Amino acid sequence: MIAELCDWLATTPLSQSFQSALWFVPVVQTVHILAIAIVVTLLAMLDLRMLGMTSRGPHPVQMARGFLPWVWRALLVLLVSGVLLTITEPSRELQNALFWVKMLLVIGLVGVTFGCASLISKDTAASDSAPSAAGRVLGAVSLALLVAIVAAGRWIAYV
Amino acid sequence: MTIDTTLSALEQSTVAIAIAESPWMFPTLETVHVLALAIVVGSIWMVDARLLGWGSRSRSIREVTATVLPWTWCAFGVALLSGSLMFTSHAVKYFGLWPFKVKMLCMLLAALNMLAFHFVTARDVAAWDHGKPPLAAKGAGAASMLIWVIVVGTGRWIGFL
Repeated sequence: MIAELCDWLATTPLSQSFQSALWFVPVVQTVHILAIAIVVTLLAMLDLRMLGMTSRGPHPVQMARGFLPWVWRALLVLLVSGVLLTITEPSRELQNALFWVKMLLVIGLVGVTFGCASLISKDTAASDSAPSAAGRVLGAVSLALLVAIVAAGRWIAYV
Repeated sequence: MTIDTTLSALEQSTVAIAIAESPWMFPTLETVHVLALAIVVGSIWMVDARLLGWGSRSRSIREVTATVLPWTWCAFGVALLSGSLMFTSHAVKYFGLWPFKVKMLCMLLAALNMLAFHFVTARDVAAWDHGKPPLAAKGAGAASMLIWVIVVGTGRWIGFL
């Protein structure tokens, strides 16, 4: 069923026009990477704060309030650029198990980020005194998911 | 020794051959490189955005750079190491590619931009630390953002050649 979807998608005029421009995939992938930079940097900084491994900078509540809107915007850019890449090369993504693993991990990251946002807004994730257990777990899981997502994304090209 | 003989020798080293022949080393180095460059670019953009007057205006520029730049330097070290290892595996080929040359040139420009900002523009930073940055500071921020977009773009393009 997926194979038929890929075959159909690859023959649509939109996909054909994207395929015919040699620069399209590299440029869209570059946008994808720049958005990854924003998500990874901002979340990693928040996560390390929640883990109590860093203590400088603004209070976690302020940090989250400043960072999270940018994280959501960057995630949207990732979604749009990802869809464009999949339209251009449907089977490269949709017929690769690693792509689906990555999608599950991304859903997990979105969920964890919502969780972090909720904890931080209730000021129970990290205070100036000590990070909470829940905050530490979410911070660690978030970091692990970021690494796993980037790895899965890169390995799609090799599997 | 010419550049070509040096690059060939590098390519023939044990490390380079191991990376070139392994099914998992290069993709792993790429993954590490992406994670590291994500933090390099993300953190530099944070400083650039502050110089341009976007975001965290409640914190002074010196506060932002003091907390962010350690991230930048650590990540840059990891990116440099992973990039160098990948480079050795096909040194002759990579050195000859124009996107590679542009990428290296852009990083040099980024360094010069940073030095010019630090030693010239920011000499009187205490005066505008909390207020509106002068045009030269905004210029440095904008130039930096653009330079790193080109670094990422040319870096990605190398992978297609």
